[in-house]
Amino acid sequence: MRFIIAFSLKNESISYNKEVILHSLSFDIKRGEKVALLGKSGSGKSTLIKKLYELQKENSSYIPQELGLVENLSVYNNIYIAKLDEFSTMHNLINLVKPNAKDVNDVVDIVDKLDLEDKMFEKVNSLSGGQKQRTAIARAVYANKSILLADEPISALDEHLSAKTISTLKENFETIVCALHDVELATKYFDRVIGLKDSEVIIDKKCTELSKKDIQKLYYVCE
Amino acid sequence: MFASKNLRVTFAFVLIGLVSFYFADLEIISLEAANLSQDFFLSIFSLGFNDYHLLLEAFLTTLSIAILAIFFSAFFGAIFSLFFGSLLIRISLAFTRAIHELFWALIFLQIFGLNTLTALLAIVIPYSATLAKVYAEILEEHDTFGDTLRGRDRLSYFIYTKIPDALPHLISYTRYRFECALRSTAILGFVGITTLGYYLSSSFMQGLYHEVWLILILFYILIASIKYWFNKYTSVILVIISFFYLDDFSGFNMANLKRFFTQDIIPYPIKNNLALQSTANWFENIFTNEVLPGITNTIVLTQLSLLLTALMALALFPLISSKFSNKPTRISTHIFLVVMRSTPEYILAFIFLQLYGPSMLPAALALMLHNGSIISHLIGHDTDAMKLRIDTTNKKTELYFYEVLPRVYGQFLAFLFYRWEIIMRESAILGVLGIMTLGFYIDSAIEDFRLDKMFLLLIVTALLNIFIDVISRTARAYLRVNKNVSTCST
Repeated sequence: MRFIIAFSLKNESISYNKEVILHSLSFDIKRGEKVALLGKSGSGKSTLIKKLYELQKENSSYIPQELGLVENLSVYNNIYIAKLDEFSTMHNLINLVKPNAKDVNDVVDIVDKLDLEDKMFEKVNSLSGGQKQRTAIARAVYANKSILLADEPISALDEHLSAKTISTLKENFETIVCALHDVELATKYFDRVIGLKDSEVIIDKKCTELSKKDIQKLYYVCE
Repeated sequence: MFASKNLRVTFAFVLIGLVSFYFADLEIISLEAANLSQDFFLSIFSLGFNDYHLLLEAFLTTLSIAILAIFFSAFFGAIFSLFFGSLLIRISLAFTRAIHELFWALIFLQIFGLNTLTALLAIVIPYSATLAKVYAEILEEHDTFGDTLRGRDRLSYFIYTKIPDALPHLISYTRYRFECALRSTAILGFVGITTLGYYLSSSFMQGLYHEVWLILILFYILIASIKYWFNKYTSVILVIISFFYLDDFSGFNMANLKRFFTQDIIPYPIKNNLALQSTANWFENIFTNEVLPGITNTIVLTQLSLLLTALMALALFPLISSKFSNKPTRISTHIFLVVMRSTPEYILAFIFLQLYGPSMLPAALALMLHNGSIISHLIGHDTDAMKLRIDTTNKKTELYFYEVLPRVYGQFLAFLFYRWEIIMRESAILGVLGIMTLGFYIDSAIEDFRLDKMFLLLIVTALLNIFIDVISRTARAYLRVNKNVSTCST
């Protein structure tokens, strides 16, 4: 049983800055599951995502809500940052001055799918909010991990791009836990939804098993 | 690397810096440099002073001049700041600021002689101009009400809409400026006023290095403890005490002042009604023999020092940043930076030039140490507040080049540009110590009592400074880095 579980929380309380944000959480997330985490801001989504990242650092790509991009570097270099620890320091320093063709090719494949190919060598500070989000997503994909932990990664994208981006993410990550505040997106593209309200799990169900009442509950959670 | 604009500007400055290296006179002349510096640095272990009464007096004089100077500067600065909208006022203040306080001291020495009045004027004049500018900027920033909302009673509106928000900033900048005034007053000793610099230089000349160290160390303590003895509770009392301590403000001499402006500084050929040809010759002579070499050397030293400052800042800021260094490293670097920052570049340059002879290298090193410390400190401080992602790399080199440097680089360039004008002004004044920058020619002109030439050279120096200021501002606008910084000049 154990090898198919990606995360297992048992009666876990999570604090941030000495304040308990989430009380006695218990759930398992299986490998291969695509989970949407719903809740309004302040419900503890970000804290939970961070906690999950702590548990599976080695296998996870993490996209924080504030993205954490380096504004003064190009889109390409921001994506490349994901692999700093894999390459040698020399390789990394040379890359800043003259990017290696192979690395650029690897990145091109990813930005292509996210409609960012024409921005590859532009500074991040010249991008729109949506383009920045896609840059952070590309970085997560480039890291080539099996788990994605993302905190509102598509909040600035329109419907079409959101759909496209989510399918790119689903292609590239075996397991996904993604914080969202859009009930429709969550139920349409994910396998399972977890709804958080006031530091507690209000609902946790497979999307195929959601009743009308459950959906109402989800909307209530996101209000 | 970091996008085009920053890179282009960096490249231009590195190039100019390297060209300056080529032209700079970097020869170490002093034959005994190694011995002398060993003597000097070892003397730190045998601190002492021949006449402690004299030392105390020097400290009290320095303190009271600085206190009164900042008091008057704040007063005049506040008045001028209200008229900062006038172009004429702005230009006059820019000129006034562009001339180093030591040059002002040299001017007033010619008029009023060696006394408290000269010392006060030398500081108050450039400081009022600087404070006026900064006050005006602060007042503009804290403008709660639009013009249309203002009523007819301008004073009431001024007091209600500007002062409440701006006052803490005005006070905090003035307090900061006081630290600068202390340093400036100490340096006035180098032209003969009996402040700390006077005893420092005379002890140094006599080889009494243990006295030099004692003065320096006490001076650091004085600066580091400012907030404990110069604050809202003590400032008024300190101003009053300083008035009584300095006591003698006489020395004002109307006849001399009049003579200075109507005769001394009037160019010789004009004063004597010479023909056009000889007037032209007079100017041409000064231009080729003094102005041109003076400007060239000043620029060479400035650009060289600016490049060195940049390198030092980039190398040292990680050592005081919690992102890169452990606590012991941070603390020891911090102490080093504070000491270097508190030592006026003029004193550093004086010591280096005494040890290694009049070459540009010691001067550039002095400017680098002082300014590099200031910038390392500011950047290091910025990086501490920087929030990085929790999945950021653990490799320090990568952290430096990919995460931290790109984030602070714009700010770093802004700091450098702010220091640029200051470095230039210092480069000019270091000529007084024997390097052939503009200050050297100004000092020689005074020694020959050719005050007309001195005045001409001072105007050139001020123009050069204003020119650099304009380029710096243009560059900052081009790079869109304009966050204000409090340093001892802007």
